[in-house]
Amino acid sequence: MFHWLEKNPFFFAVGVFLVIAYAGLITILPDFMNSARPVVGTKPYTVLQLAGRHAYIKDSCNACHSQLIRPFKSETDRYGMYSLSGEYAYDRPFLWGSKRTGPDLMRVGNYRTTDWLENHMLDPASVVPGSIMPKYGHMFNNKANIETAYAEAVTVKKVFNVPYDEKDMPKLGSFEEAQKLALEEAKEIVDNMKNPTVKEAYAKGEIKEIVALIAYLNSLK
Amino acid sequence: MNWLNDNVNLLGLLGAAAIIVITVFVVGKYIKQMKTDKSTGELADENWDGIGEYKNPLPVGWALSFLGTMVWALWYFLAGYPLNGYSQIGEYNEEVAAYNTKFESKWANPDAETLQGMGEGVFLVQCAPCHGITGDGINGKATDLTSWGTEEAIVHTILNGSKGMNFPLGEMPAGLLDENSAKAVAAYMTEKVSKTGTKNSDLVATGEALWATCAGCHGEDGKGMGGSAPDIASYGKPEFVASVLNHGKKGVIGTMPSFNDGRLTDIQKLAVGKYVNSLTQ
Repeated sequence: MFHWLEKNPFFFAVGVFLVIAYAGLITILPDFMNSARPVVGTKPYTVLQLAGRHAYIKDSCNACHSQLIRPFKSETDRYGMYSLSGEYAYDRPFLWGSKRTGPDLMRVGNYRTTDWLENHMLDPASVVPGSIMPKYGHMFNNKANIETAYAEAVTVKKVFNVPYDEKDMPKLGSFEEAQKLALEEAKEIVDNMKNPTVKEAYAKGEIKEIVALIAYLNSLK
Repeated sequence: MNWLNDNVNLLGLLGAAAIIVITVFVVGKYIKQMKTDKSTGELADENWDGIGEYKNPLPVGWALSFLGTMVWALWYFLAGYPLNGYSQIGEYNEEVAAYNTKFESKWANPDAETLQGMGEGVFLVQCAPCHGITGDGINGKATDLTSWGTEEAIVHTILNGSKGMNFPLGEMPAGLLDENSAKAVAAYMTEKVSKTGTKNSDLVATGEALWATCAGCHGEDGKGMGGSAPDIASYGKPEFVASVLNHGKKGVIGTMPSFNDGRLTDIQKLAVGKYVNSLTQ
């Protein structure tokens, strides 16, 4: 048989594939349907949070911060409950990351607050001495891209049946409605912030990138 | 030469020496053999550009371990892994349960020094990002814990009010008393209610007369009337800090998250309180 396999590389490859695929089959398949569903209580991102997520990706936060807490005591002591696969059901793309230059952010909303994040994004070393994280002052001047966030939300709703506009789920509606909702959601965050530029812009109906980013980080729980 | 007393070091060195001796011997043997050996035996059918292969039998030990591995693999594929029910989460749960049992039995009755050290460790990881490594609140970005729990802090709270711990009686308005009355009440409170001792013992009697202002919400004994308002009888003590950790606080400076999600045990919360307390002194 081995002689025959050596002479027929195609069937040899099929054999190798079967042996390796079996391992995947036995480890992944039994729980696949179950673990791929959203965990109870997981909700899709609101438009404002999505805009913040775009800023997060645009500025490559995920290059230094992971969003995946592994099931080890040392990790859960510091970051909270380990991650479940269903918690990423509405993440497109997921931002697991594999390198932690900074800490994991999977549940940062549980232990950091708007005012702290504001101080930290403006000047990380002012609250964490010796931090090598760069300053993100430009986020206080850039406008949050609500249009793109809305477009993404509508797209995933139509293409992947993400449950926007359903009971107990974030509302989307028309773009004007979504814009109004985003402004309402931003109000609480702006009220808890001190930066005058952000507050002035908000008074004129404009949401800065930092507000959206904080909304996103606060939603990570 | 202290490191030679260590058994592991000694074994390691002996092993290294053995490897060198065996290598020299075996390599020497094969080099000698290569010089004199002539090839004999039956050639296999395959021939690659003039390079052939002898039909040598497999070494018995190698063949047996190869077969053994295959049998083991079949068992592991079909029964060993799938029926064993191993899960990483299961291992995590066991590890955490074992750790918690050990933690609780080891630190059931910690002494003051242990609590202080434990509190400092937790503080530096969980509290320092907002309150600063020294607990000074980083230029007003969070509560300055170095002055927390003192009479001055009580006066400050009475003058400025307090809010955000979600007690049924709601927030405490600013300016309930003027500064002198507040000082007197603070003296009374530290002397008679929280019993941490006052610096202005001459003001205690005046404060007692004014205590009704506080007792309206916090109760005559300051214990918060069964959870309607904060228990200020424990103000300036570790228990008060533990209560803030449990409730979180949305105060004037900003929001403090609650630490009630299981990251800290009750002993650790008390330890943090102990440490925060020591920052004042």
